[in-house]
Amino acid sequence: MTTDVISDITEAEQGSSLWHDAWLRLRKNKMALFGGITLLLFVIIAILTPLIAPYSYETQNLDLGATPPSAAHWLGTDIFGRDLLTQVMYGGRISLAVGFVATSVALVIGITWGAIAGYVGGRVDAVMMRLVDILYALPFMIFIVLLMVVFGRNVLLLFLAIGAVEWLTMARIMRSQVQQLRQQEFVEAAISLGLPPHTIIRRHLIPNALGPIIVYTTLTIPSVMLLEAFLSFLGLGIQPPQTSWGLLISYGAETMEEFPWLLIFPGLALTLTLFSLNFLGDGLRDALDVRRSKD
Amino acid sequence: MNHKLLCCFLAALLITLTACGGGESNVAQGNREGILHFGNGSEPQGLDPHVVTGVPENKLIRALFEGLAVKNPYTLEPEPGVAESWDISEDGRIITFHINPQAKWSNGEAMTAGDYIWSWERALSPKMGNLYAYMLFPIVNSEAYAKGKITDFDEVGVKALDDQTLQVTLNESTPYFIQLMDHYSTFAVHPETIEKHGKKTDRFTKWTRVANMVNNGPFNLSEWKLNRRIAMVKSDTYWDRDNVKLNGVVFYPTENIVSEERMFRVGQLHYTQGIPLDKIPVYQAMEDTPYIQAPYLGTYFYLFNTTRPPVDDVRVRKALSMSIDREKLNNTVLQKTNVAAYSITPPDTMGYNPPRLFDYDPALARTLLADAGFPDGEGWPGLELVYNTSESHRKIAVALQQMWKDALNIEVTISNQEWKVYLDSVTQMDFQIARRGWIGDYVDANNFLDLYLTDGGNNNTGFSDPRYDEMILKLAPQAKTREERYRIFYEAETMLMEQMPILPVYTYTSKHLIHPSVKGLPSNLMDSLNLKYVSLDPNWEKAQTEKK
Repeated sequence: MTTDVISDITEAEQGSSLWHDAWLRLRKNKMALFGGITLLLFVIIAILTPLIAPYSYETQNLDLGATPPSAAHWLGTDIFGRDLLTQVMYGGRISLAVGFVATSVALVIGITWGAIAGYVGGRVDAVMMRLVDILYALPFMIFIVLLMVVFGRNVLLLFLAIGAVEWLTMARIMRSQVQQLRQQEFVEAAISLGLPPHTIIRRHLIPNALGPIIVYTTLTIPSVMLLEAFLSFLGLGIQPPQTSWGLLISYGAETMEEFPWLLIFPGLALTLTLFSLNFLGDGLRDALDVRRSKD
Repeated sequence: MNHKLLCCFLAALLITLTACGGGESNVAQGNREGILHFGNGSEPQGLDPHVVTGVPENKLIRALFEGLAVKNPYTLEPEPGVAESWDISEDGRIITFHINPQAKWSNGEAMTAGDYIWSWERALSPKMGNLYAYMLFPIVNSEAYAKGKITDFDEVGVKALDDQTLQVTLNESTPYFIQLMDHYSTFAVHPETIEKHGKKTDRFTKWTRVANMVNNGPFNLSEWKLNRRIAMVKSDTYWDRDNVKLNGVVFYPTENIVSEERMFRVGQLHYTQGIPLDKIPVYQAMEDTPYIQAPYLGTYFYLFNTTRPPVDDVRVRKALSMSIDREKLNNTVLQKTNVAAYSITPPDTMGYNPPRLFDYDPALARTLLADAGFPDGEGWPGLELVYNTSESHRKIAVALQQMWKDALNIEVTISNQEWKVYLDSVTQMDFQIARRGWIGDYVDANNFLDLYLTDGGNNNTGFSDPRYDEMILKLAPQAKTREERYRIFYEAETMLMEQMPILPVYTYTSKHLIHPSVKGLPSNLMDSLNLKYVSLDPNWEKAQTEKK
């Protein structure tokens, strides 16, 4: 058992074998692979949207109005005669960007904060975690609303604001993981080898905590996307003619009896993304679990 | 086997769910007990007749209070309310109201002419900040009092000849003055109650709460759950209680018309404030449709803030107004349910027709915008349009945003605000373009044109023209004939629309879903409701089948 762990450390220090192993394992997981490919496809489409979108997302054709899917408009049109496929593609840009940017912000802050608090411990830990508790106590909706009111409406700021309130749980998870890992022999060995703390955190602690981080990330992305839709609905997020999946769904839900396709297709896009994220997240967690790596 | 099990399970689940969701609907129970369930649009700002503005508040206050004269919902002619009769002097300047001796407050006290003098002093007091104070301005010296130029209310032309007789002296003959007595800002409030809960001119004190309120209308407040419901029960002190057929009314703040329509469909409401535009064709196609559409004395428009660039330039305002295709908007997004408007007064307001100074003309609009310094949208500083959160306002704003982009190549951002925030933005003129609607308080062009007087409480645009003020305040009231009066209005409205402080969009129609069991709720130009006339027929289904 002990030898196992030590050899693991030396390998990790030597190079990329953790990621290489992970990739080998991930490749065997069909569901995860499917999720990854779908996501990749969505991201590529989102990036290329301005080039490949069949219509302009804001040009209206009021005389056309809402029409069901047809050869000219694969997903139909909305009540302003705008092509729904184009809307969904542009909405995906915003939704995916919110999902990834806001989550990355949350990850970076949360992991750093939690790892430092957990690793240093003592008074620093107490102060840092009390700060997290205080931020937890603030109703985060009000916090975001205040941010938007003070700094004005701005899509990038919206991303950051959402990220800035979503990092708290991540910090707690990270801290508890690091505290646990700190007691383990390989970390003590690394300390006695004289490695500086930031290297220990980066090389030993974070890779060992990847499992819970990834699971939590896959949960954060969808909740962030929904939060964006909610904020936009309140008039604090994205404003027309820009759109997002969340907004398309909330508009579609209002007319779902007359024009069901306005709800179905954006809903399908969001659902598919969330499923893919969950499959990929599960796969990654298994693949990156260092404790299981040498089975 | 597995499938069978699943089916059984699903069936069981379905039965449980139906059982839970079952029970009698609001409508069925209401029909039996005589309780009307009324969708009222939004949560009211308050219930103080001298403080609030707005249509939802109007419906509530006119159920709780009654004016000297009320409108007949079928003819819109005034009929006796608190006053059992009134005399008008030959020159039309002195009106004597005879208060019904049976008219009582809900605590049993008799109503007196003194209550009216006290209430009108309150309504006109500058400290009250009553946006509707101008409803009483036809009365001698009332405007001077409201603006603080005189401080002695005795100089205002209202006198109590005795407890039952109220004499009002007007500046000049005002044909619509009796109509104004059905507007809540002219209603009487109970002096002792208000003073018990604060100073006479305090806004939003506790006197309007359940159990505190003393009122004089056909119904009394029995429950007020914020954002849930406001319930009222029939008053047993109201003078005409024998003609009140309902036992109670429940008002629901149904801000979201989509859920309102759903509530109607599942039998939670007798009456809806509106209907989602996309649902109209569906309801129109129904046999025995509950959908009732009627012309309505109101205009939907946008306000320009003439003190903020870029809309401080009349050319920009005209360009924005000329570049939207109102007919197309009406035929598509609005489902042909309204009439395109080109001015503030609705067409055929008691025979008055407003001027039409412009048409849909994108080419001219582009020229005007270029003259203003933004050729083809170059150098356009951006513009923000605010509207109160609502599905239909959003649709119109989105359509206009694109029309402006297409015609003028300019960016307009749109943003929604919650009703109270929006009202604040509008009254403090903290906007560039804001959505606005105006519903006539009485059937006369004056009610639309006096909005844009220099100090008008609902002006909110910064428009000010002394000549315009003079025409509306001095010349029109002195006109000898209706033709002359309308000619002055026409001229004034032409001056107004040449400055374009507002961007008219359409003339309203009232659109409601009304359950077939509801009787005595006719549509009229004012969308005026008198709950005294309303009754519920528990046997409506039988009546409907017999008709077939």
